[in-house]
Amino acid sequence: MSSANHLQADRSTALKLYLISDFNLETLGNYLSNDSTWPQVAAASAPFGQVFPALLHPHSDPSDFALVWTSPEKVVPAFGDNLNNVEVDEDRVLAELGEFTNCLQQAQRHFRAIFVVSWTIPAYERGNNLLGLRRSGPRRLLLKMNLALAEKLESCASVYLLDGQRWMDENSYSPKLWYLTKTPFHPAVFSRAAGDLKAAISAVLGASRKLLVVDLDNVLWGGAVGDVGWEDLRLGGHDYVGEALLDFQKALKSLRNRGILLAIASKNDEGIAMEALTKHPQMVLRPDDFAATRINWNDKAANVAELAEELNLGLQSVVFIDDNPIERARVREALPEVYVPEWPADKTLFASTLLQMVCFDAANITAEDASRQQMVATDRHRKLSRQMVGSAEEWLLSCQTVVTVEEQCDANRERVVQLLNKTNQMNLATRRLSTQELQAWLQPANRKLWTFKVSDKFGDSGLTGILSLEIGSEIAWITDFVLSCRVMGRNVESVMVAFAAQHCAGLGLQELRADYFPTAKNKPCFRFWMSSGFSYDEGKNRFLWFPRQPYQFPRGIEVRLQSLPVSI
Amino acid sequence: MDRYLPISVDDGAEHDSVLKVIYESISDLNFQLPQEQRVEKSPHAVLFGAGGKLDSLGLANFIVIAEQKLHDSLGLRINLTEDDPFSPNTGHFRTIESLANYVSDLVSRRTKVPQ
Repeated sequence: MSSANHLQADRSTALKLYLISDFNLETLGNYLSNDSTWPQVAAASAPFGQVFPALLHPHSDPSDFALVWTSPEKVVPAFGDNLNNVEVDEDRVLAELGEFTNCLQQAQRHFRAIFVVSWTIPAYERGNNLLGLRRSGPRRLLLKMNLALAEKLESCASVYLLDGQRWMDENSYSPKLWYLTKTPFHPAVFSRAAGDLKAAISAVLGASRKLLVVDLDNVLWGGAVGDVGWEDLRLGGHDYVGEALLDFQKALKSLRNRGILLAIASKNDEGIAMEALTKHPQMVLRPDDFAATRINWNDKAANVAELAEELNLGLQSVVFIDDNPIERARVREALPEVYVPEWPADKTLFASTLLQMVCFDAANITAEDASRQQMVATDRHRKLSRQMVGSAEEWLLSCQTVVTVEEQCDANRERVVQLLNKTNQMNLATRRLSTQELQAWLQPANRKLWTFKVSDKFGDSGLTGILSLEIGSEIAWITDFVLSCRVMGRNVESVMVAFAAQHCAGLGLQELRADYFPTAKNKPCFRFWMSSGFSYDEGKNRFLWFPRQPYQFPRGIEVRLQSLPVSI
Repeated sequence: MDRYLPISVDDGAEHDSVLKVIYESISDLNFQLPQEQRVEKSPHAVLFGAGGKLDSLGLANFIVIAEQKLHDSLGLRINLTEDDPFSPNTGHFRTIESLANYVSDLVSRRTKVPQ
């Protein structure tokens, strides 16, 4: 038995995508396969017209992705009748649609994730115009079908619905291509679909960006605050630029509300800039909306790097927006992992440019995402208090940390998958698993996974740790040892190891092993394990403990098993 | 004999704008093609026939992209699949140049009043 059965995320290998359709999707496959940007995709088409067999008996690997793009009248023949002005019973429509969603539900076990495109009909299908949205009108029926599809797929953890209507315009359906190649759409549709699909795959892989660093002058407001003063900035009011920048701030705030951290990197006098953020009556974003700031005259690239470090994020999580092309070029050159979008000079395009960016797309939004900004604020208080208290140990004891251990269950599964796929630094094996793969891995009774929630007197950091064990007759392996950077260095790591050792001691096991799989980013994990007290076998990159020897839980941390205190 | 002879100097500007639209269509098409199958933006690049790199799907996609772009830029609906387009000796899809000549000719005939 070995813990080597992990799927290491590899940025150089193309991900396989299985295209399933009742029409020719080869053009989409070509767009995807010939786009060398990450994530690289190798697309393969199932024979078209074989949607149900291709879903239920695919020639694919469980680590492959699938895209299912169908015509509504073929999956739901009753809808085809409706298009032909034959009266149809809505129950028949829903029954036919149910067969499709049942099939998708069953197909989940064959794929890492399945993307389903919502149904559309051509603009030229006018459906008698005035009657299209009336009872039994085709457009009304299609709206209902898409809604039913979305609702039924809600319970499928690894099936994601993509909005096909977003890719359509009046020229999207091409009768000529249909008659020539059985491809219904103009290539522009597939080009747009390929972009959204890659963003969706990236989101499922947990690679979405988490921190947006913005400039101030001529980005958040019009004018240079140091020159004109906060009272004369262009923001809001009866001014088209001011209104556009107000909308841009609202768009930033909406990103913040779903867990994207905001930060400032601006060449300004800090006091003057903060006064503007605090006092300007139309300002949407106030100082508390920013997780961190660097308002000074230093190099912007250095400031962006410092902001990422302060917030414990890798540079690959960062986006930088600046109106000055020289600053953009500087950050791009110095920090190639940071995404620096080309930014329009026209301020009326700021909000729409931001809203079109795909790098913040997430597969799911968990409670932890929604409260991230609050958690960062409490972390700031925590750091301030650390500066006031003497030794690190003294400070940790004063935090009144509580760690709650819970077995993996339906309620925490989404967050577990998210943490597995997002965490880089404190991650022993860097396994990237879909919900289905995780469930399959946990099937044998000798595999266990626990989650760790962390709170202290400053606030709740939420579910931030994962430990999984594969247990043999004498030896147990730590397969996953994952801790969010948000709580690193607060002795939660030691709680997790102590918990594993105590569990193995209770089972009378001889050895507890942890194999370290190095990546470019998980050196902090290695450093922790080197200090953990486990012996280290360098040749095998393996850490070893003999559970008959008690492993001490760290002092001053209360550990609870679900809601009950554990005796330690 | 070539049905689409090189056009006169008077029609040069029109020919250039048609060629520009065809090159833009090639640029769009190339995004869906692997490196080795991408079509060169040169008058002598072969679109169909011996030495051509496009398969039938690629050619069909090129046709609808070019028709759309010609409509957007010239305001004319042009059906590129008329007039025996794939004839080995006279078809307008032999090269980019033959296609540009064909389209320019069509545009001239549709837009100019006979003397």
